[in-house]
Amino acid sequence: MDRADPGSFRDPASRVVLGDASVTRLLDERGLEGWRALAASRLLEAAVADGRLIASTEVDPPGGAAGALEHPRIPVVTYPFEWTFSMLRDAALLQLDLLEAALGEGLVLKDATPYNIQFVGGRPMFIDVGSFEKYRTGDPWVGYRQFCRQFLYPLMLRAWVGVPFQPWLRGEPEGPTADQMRRLLPARRRLVPAALLHVELQARAERRMQGAAVRSSLADAGFSSDLIVANVRKLRSLVEALEWDGAVGSWAEYGQCQHVGRDRSAKAAFLDAAVKAAAPSVVLDLGANDGHFSRVAADNGAVAVAVDGDEEVLDRLYRSLSAGTTIVPLLADLANPSPAQGWAGVERPALVTRANPDLVVAYGLIHHLIYTSSIPPDHVIGWLAGFGVPVVVEFVAPEDPMVARLTANKRPEELHPDRDRGGFERMAAVHFDTIADQDLEGGTRRLYHLTPC
Amino acid sequence: MIFAYLDPGSGSLILQAVLGGVAGVGVAAKAMRNRWKARKSSVTEEEAETPDPAPVETQES
Repeated sequence: MDRADPGSFRDPASRVVLGDASVTRLLDERGLEGWRALAASRLLEAAVADGRLIASTEVDPPGGAAGALEHPRIPVVTYPFEWTFSMLRDAALLQLDLLEAALGEGLVLKDATPYNIQFVGGRPMFIDVGSFEKYRTGDPWVGYRQFCRQFLYPLMLRAWVGVPFQPWLRGEPEGPTADQMRRLLPARRRLVPAALLHVELQARAERRMQGAAVRSSLADAGFSSDLIVANVRKLRSLVEALEWDGAVGSWAEYGQCQHVGRDRSAKAAFLDAAVKAAAPSVVLDLGANDGHFSRVAADNGAVAVAVDGDEEVLDRLYRSLSAGTTIVPLLADLANPSPAQGWAGVERPALVTRANPDLVVAYGLIHHLIYTSSIPPDHVIGWLAGFGVPVVVEFVAPEDPMVARLTANKRPEELHPDRDRGGFERMAAVHFDTIADQDLEGGTRRLYHLTPC
Repeated sequence: MIFAYLDPGSGSLILQAVLGGVAGVGVAAKAMRNRWKARKSSVTEEEAETPDPAPVETQES
């Protein structure tokens, strides 16, 4: 059944209605004019063909709309605060490239927010066709400030300040202001020309000219799209040059752990059998690490959402994806996953309601939730059952060397009960039937393929 | 009329002319000059419409 997308309301010219398999964009007269201009340009066909822009088909509009477009549905929607550094940087480059290409066709993008971009087939794709409109001579780039706050400053935050941008964007989706950014930059960065122009000068200009009507003054003074193109090209070079040298994350060397190499092929074969049995469209790989098991799902034709809390390993996974690979990296702390937020608390749905998996994989995960995050075992199993789909899970016994490491500084009475295999199986039986199970070589780990009972 | 559903920020709009390079600096300067002239003329018009205050009588001692 169709329903209005709770996140699509800011632009009155274009709003989205979600169907089961497709998405319909309803346009008013102005939105339709923008679409027709895009459709008449060379940009549309080229950008759709190379996967940079979502495909659109004009369909008969329902009553009350001037026009309507149908788009394929994105399997899993992710938000900028769930992306890694390289994902946000690639999204920023796509935004700039499309803007420059649009200006070359007499069009412009009316905004510059990463919420208009999704990751499909391992690459960013621009999904808001309603952002394109005809460029009006003399008009400046309205989205410049938004680009700085939602793309450039978050990237600078990671590359130049050494602070992850995701908590900021999760707390303040508009991103840091120029004034906040200038306060955050270390002294040696403040004098870099890009910082002087895009941060310091912008902060001062914003402070001095708050509320002033300047657009007609700029048009009268001869502002042209050439100036936007020059700015966009310099921004592109700046964004490309921003690097995150990546402090070594705690999971970056995970692949070298003894149990990982030893168990990897057995776990992959077990998952492969489960994926073949369930034939899922979407697999949620919780604690995906380097994405080895997400690839098993993707190789079977599923879209795999590779969820992990370590940005470095996830960024490495993203950079390793060849075009067309159906893996979506998603950065999240599973003990504190993205909540529902935005206008009326429904604009950006929570991660758990967005994912809609057909199969959940939890390899090498639940002992970290139980022992590191102190989540009671029955809560963890209940949470997995809450997805309402089959689960492939790795149980790790209290005798496992990794558990010994995780509990090195904890007394037994500080740990939750029912951590042993008997407790796990008893609690799992409340929610699931066991389809298959298998011991791993070391004797302290066991795999379960469970299905809701 | 130019329409935007997001607030582009007045300072950011002027700044991006400067960011466009040498030609843009000229455009930004001209835009600022035009704004200043417009403001000045509107202030002058307001002053012209406002009657002069009555002269204050002073008493020499």
